[in-house]
Amino acid sequence: MPSPRLAETVAVHGHQRPHSIALHYNDQAVTYGRLHDLTESLRGQLHRLGLPSGSTVCVPAHKTPQTIALLLAVFHEGLVALAPSPDLGSAARERIARQARVRQLLTVDADGVLDATPVAPDEDEAKGFATPDPERTRLLLTTSGSTGTPKIVPIESAGFEAFADWAVEEFGLTPGETAFSYAPLNFDLALLDVWTFLRLGASVVLVDKEKATDAGHLAALATGHRLTFVQGVPMMYRLLLEGSAGRPEDPATGAFGTVRHAIFTGDRLPADLLAPIASAFSGAAFHNVFGCTETNDSFIHRVDPAATGPMPIGRPLRGTEALVLDGDGQRVDGAGTGELLVATPFQTRGYLREELNGTAFTRIDGRDFYRTGDIVSRDADGLYVLEGRADWHVKVRGVRTNLQEVESVLAAHPDVAEAVVVPLPDPQAGVRLHAHVTRRPGTGLTSLRLRTHSGRHLPRHAIPASVHLTDAPLPRTSTGKPDRNLIKQNRLKEIDA
Amino acid sequence: MSTTDIAGQIRAYVVGQFLAGEDASDLTGDYDLIESGVIDSLGLVRLLSHLTQAFDIPADDIEFTPDDFRTLDSITALVEAHAPAAVA
Repeated sequence: MPSPRLAETVAVHGHQRPHSIALHYNDQAVTYGRLHDLTESLRGQLHRLGLPSGSTVCVPAHKTPQTIALLLAVFHEGLVALAPSPDLGSAARERIARQARVRQLLTVDADGVLDATPVAPDEDEAKGFATPDPERTRLLLTTSGSTGTPKIVPIESAGFEAFADWAVEEFGLTPGETAFSYAPLNFDLALLDVWTFLRLGASVVLVDKEKATDAGHLAALATGHRLTFVQGVPMMYRLLLEGSAGRPEDPATGAFGTVRHAIFTGDRLPADLLAPIASAFSGAAFHNVFGCTETNDSFIHRVDPAATGPMPIGRPLRGTEALVLDGDGQRVDGAGTGELLVATPFQTRGYLREELNGTAFTRIDGRDFYRTGDIVSRDADGLYVLEGRADWHVKVRGVRTNLQEVESVLAAHPDVAEAVVVPLPDPQAGVRLHAHVTRRPGTGLTSLRLRTHSGRHLPRHAIPASVHLTDAPLPRTSTGKPDRNLIKQNRLKEIDA
Repeated sequence: MSTTDIAGQIRAYVVGQFLAGEDASDLTGDYDLIESGVIDSLGLVRLLSHLTQAFDIPADDIEFTPDDFRTLDSITALVEAHAPAAVA
């Protein structure tokens, strides 16, 4: 998405293969010809806004053919799109829009009609933020972090092109592919399962967000479109298996026998899922892929469905360098454990907020490495296994979520004295968040009011699923820190009771 | 079944399923359950399945949008519009 060349390539598909299907969305099949017409119409509408060249616009990333056409139009017109989650609270969205010096908030309706709302500039809010350079980037993603103000990550146009080239070669992709796009359009995963496939002239099946947890719908969609390429978090595979259970199928090929490549990403695949996945996707090669918004994909592992034990993230993919640093920040050579640093051919040149870059990136031997915050082990053969996070991150439904950031959003409510957020195991979401909150004396804070506050400042996945509100101080450890383990244990006992 | 009964049953279900153990006394009919994360997308699936069974709603024949589940009032209106047993 992030490149002018992508927009031009898709336009060429519109001329050369106008009847090939670009996007399946619910009951619609949008051809490359139609996608091109929509994009051209939106270019015209953008033009009439009279934006200065190279301006930044905010396009909430609704996962629709119309929004995809709008983004293509933005890339064509030399503008830069900030594409946050459509679920991001309005206060947080307005803040990042002002930080990125956005001129207009743009949405497009089902008929392809553009709606533009001017965004008032605020140089105080934009202070310390670089102005996006349309020569280098056309797309700004936000990290899936849970903070009230997500970090803005410019995706390099050249980085996207290199990434798409890598993926096409690695998986032997052709215009005959049909890819399943499960993740939201604002995730870096869309760089592969939407934009790389559109550049190729292949078909993409867009999973409507509203139906993304409907197992029967997902399985019907996947079998009906004869997918060849699937990428998603473990929850998606669980839902696909659930939805295909009891359906008539060819026992020789499994429910999803047309799939050639199945990619696991975003979270650790539970061990009990691998065998049923292998029988349902009988024709597929399985890959565990590791990456993040800042660097895009950095590791890949060809999964042996018969293997047991923790699934490795594998080895650095072509062009990527990886380093492991021990607790003292010293480089680990050979086998060992420590924090993972990566440098990929696809990575951002830095967050828009410039002061973050000094700690997030480190220059080593002339190359900028991103500190992933992930702890990995490397064996003597150079195979990597993910061990956990160096910091406060957990994954909620595959989305990286910083517990401390959620706590600080809760604590920012004027009636909150202290807040602790703990992750609890959840069979469906993987993890869900529980908040233990002490309110200030004399305030009438209720958990519903705190949820309203959370909804305004946090993306949905980061809103705690349960809230325990109390007037009593938080339990403490002997060193005076909030006793997170005790809070977690107490809550788990309550649930069991 | 009267509107009050339906509203009361729906409220009891939402509180029991999604706000268990929490003080929900200020849960009003217009409180936004979706923006506030009380009901997430997995929760929507559960709620819909419950409504289908409890009120005999022909879920397969109706197009739902998340807005139908945004507040207790909108859920009640949805049930009233589609439940055969409901007499407004």
